[in-house]
Amino acid sequence: MALPLNYNIRNVLIRWRATLATVIGVALVVSVYVSLQAMAAGLEKTSANTGDPRNILIVRKGSTAESSSQVTREQFQIIPYLPGIARSARDQPLVSADVIVLVTVPRRENGGEANVILRGVSPAGAELRPQVTLIAGRWFTPGKREVVVSQRLSKRFANFGLGDKFTSAGKTLTIVGVLEGGNSAFDSEVWLDADECRALFDRENYSSVLVRTENPEAAKTLMARVEADKRLPLRALPEVEYYAAQTKTAMPFKFLASALAIMMSVGAVFAAMNTMYASVGARTREIGTLRVLGFRRRAILTSFLIEGAFLSLIGGLLGCLIAAGIYILIRDHPIGTMSFDSFSETVFQFRITPWLAVKGLIFSVLLGIFGSLLPALRAARLPVIGALKSL
Amino acid sequence: MTIGSFVLKNALRNKRRFTLSVLSVAMSLFLLVTLLVTLRELTNPPEDLGAALRVVVRSRISIANLLPARQRTVIEHIAGVEAVSPFTWFGGQFKNEDSMTFAQFAIEPSLMQTIFGEAKLPADQLAAFIADRRSCIVGKITADKYGLKIGQLMSLESSFYPNPIELKVAGIYAGSMDDRNVLFHHKYLDEASGDLGQVGTWWVKVRTAEDMPQVISAINQTFANTSAEVRAETERAFQLSFVSMFGNVKFLVSVICSVVVFALLLVTASTMSMAIRERFRELAVLKALGFRRRELAAFILAESFGLAMLGALVGIGSAYALFTFADIPKMTNSFFVSLEVTPRIMGLAALVAACLGVIASIAPAVAVARTTVVQGLKTLD
Repeated sequence: MALPLNYNIRNVLIRWRATLATVIGVALVVSVYVSLQAMAAGLEKTSANTGDPRNILIVRKGSTAESSSQVTREQFQIIPYLPGIARSARDQPLVSADVIVLVTVPRRENGGEANVILRGVSPAGAELRPQVTLIAGRWFTPGKREVVVSQRLSKRFANFGLGDKFTSAGKTLTIVGVLEGGNSAFDSEVWLDADECRALFDRENYSSVLVRTENPEAAKTLMARVEADKRLPLRALPEVEYYAAQTKTAMPFKFLASALAIMMSVGAVFAAMNTMYASVGARTREIGTLRVLGFRRRAILTSFLIEGAFLSLIGGLLGCLIAAGIYILIRDHPIGTMSFDSFSETVFQFRITPWLAVKGLIFSVLLGIFGSLLPALRAARLPVIGALKSL
Repeated sequence: MTIGSFVLKNALRNKRRFTLSVLSVAMSLFLLVTLLVTLRELTNPPEDLGAALRVVVRSRISIANLLPARQRTVIEHIAGVEAVSPFTWFGGQFKNEDSMTFAQFAIEPSLMQTIFGEAKLPADQLAAFIADRRSCIVGKITADKYGLKIGQLMSLESSFYPNPIELKVAGIYAGSMDDRNVLFHHKYLDEASGDLGQVGTWWVKVRTAEDMPQVISAINQTFANTSAEVRAETERAFQLSFVSMFGNVKFLVSVICSVVVFALLLVTASTMSMAIRERFRELAVLKALGFRRRELAAFILAESFGLAMLGALVGIGSAYALFTFADIPKMTNSFFVSLEVTPRIMGLAALVAACLGVIASIAPAVAVARTTVVQGLKTLD
């Protein structure tokens, strides 16, 4: 027969002073784990939100990032006439040749600097990226050295407010609008006209070409066509696929989360073991009584394991709450770090998914079971008479 | 029985608990040292021996923008400049690996000794490198990692340049700031990429340290208002500019450090109070025997402090041993070249441990001081 669950729960609650430290210890381990994973999840979500399933991105063969790709003007002139490309309301092919330039700009705070992506887009560029909306000001007018910055960048960099001016390559650019990228990679970009961008930064070539296809069938044909065309040493791939592959930046966060979780959990297991050993020690007579009443060793073992698991589950829940608290605190201050894919500042949002919280809870239960295994074995093995005699 | 052995016996009466507590303190301090060392490495790149006399010139727009090759002669004619070498990142991928673990730079090999003198390389290997346009020299860490031997060919595909290159290993160097890099002839890069006339950065050797400020401002002014404006800065400033790019990560690691320290404090404090609560009756007996509150508090403090310091010794010691004797590049997949546990970091961790020992003893000491002898003797559990 098993011991009632209530017995364990009340035991944990009555010894709250000894329990509390362990619970908080586990809570901190779980909160560090969940928070770091939430950052990796936020970064991955940013990549996943970017890209439209109907779009095909064309880059130079062998280049892994748009910023290191080159598409010449001769190559670009062929692309709009390829079959299967969707047309706009004005019957123009939906094609945007983009130029990516990294510019170093000063941060708002503590005087540092970072690289930011300047994306020159063709007139169809905004239409091809429906997640991008203008939230303040207006779009740029080509030829007037005007740019539109994302809202998140404008919060992080000096002279990036609406109406401000900044200088790069000896040219002064005016910010005439603020865009919102719907949690996509475009939230970390500054947009201007593609040909103006080429002129300002002395670029002969475009970086990439984005096209909208009529349907998935046409997309496949187009990709095969680009691959086969001898005039085009280019690679066409779904835009979604391209951004999904930009995961290098999330890797260090995931690595840090796992490494820290492992090291910290060793410490937490020691703490849980201490608490459980003390709990077993203090209840020696009680355990003896239970045995006399007819509870088997197995029942005692399970009971203590459940107690340990319950103890750290409380810690796990608390840890998830702490992580959620961090989320609420920094919700309005997106995190920025250097993207290892584009070598530029990427801004992302902390993101706690239900699955992450569940992972954190499972992790905490495992911690509790590991920590209480040895004390539980000790409790189960207590000699009945000796236990009853103990003070 | 002396007071010292009394404290020691008390501490060790429950050996299992003592061991577990010491180990959890040790683990937390190990983690703290690891985080501090990593943070230091990220935000404070290692000093280079030759760096004091080197100036790095890059495009004012950003490091990703190339500079025209014609700038070289202009810089060479600036007073105080000893030599100028191009330094261009190739961005090559070796053996279809997922991520790059070493960088390749195209340089001017004849200036290798003048500009990058701290990289030690046998004279015959250097001569072979200079003589063969399609050869390269490989840093020791990378050579060890891939088992590269002299005479071996390595082919690299760039994500930036359209054509792949094939390099013959002419020598293996060591002793530079970053023994991971592969260095090869800029002329070969020009040939392979169709003479673009562009370089990534210029690395300038200055004659004397006094010339540094003038050379830097002269280079900046010379190219001001040209089509390719530059930013010249000391090598140190150049390295540090990467730190700012990491954004909030530094803040993040600091927060984690604090969380770790806090968790550690909790664990030890709880263990200490557990050990004392168990022993409440004995302490009441001691009180009845005439020991003063002060003395009882000293017993508790000594035990707690000793436990924390022992944990510190184990934790900091093992971290020191690991980072000093282990093969860091191998362990971190060449992400870090070295991780140094500085005396400062060790001191900080030891200080945390000492504070911990003191703070953890406060609550039990106060509890003991407050109880009367009768109450204490009555306590069960």
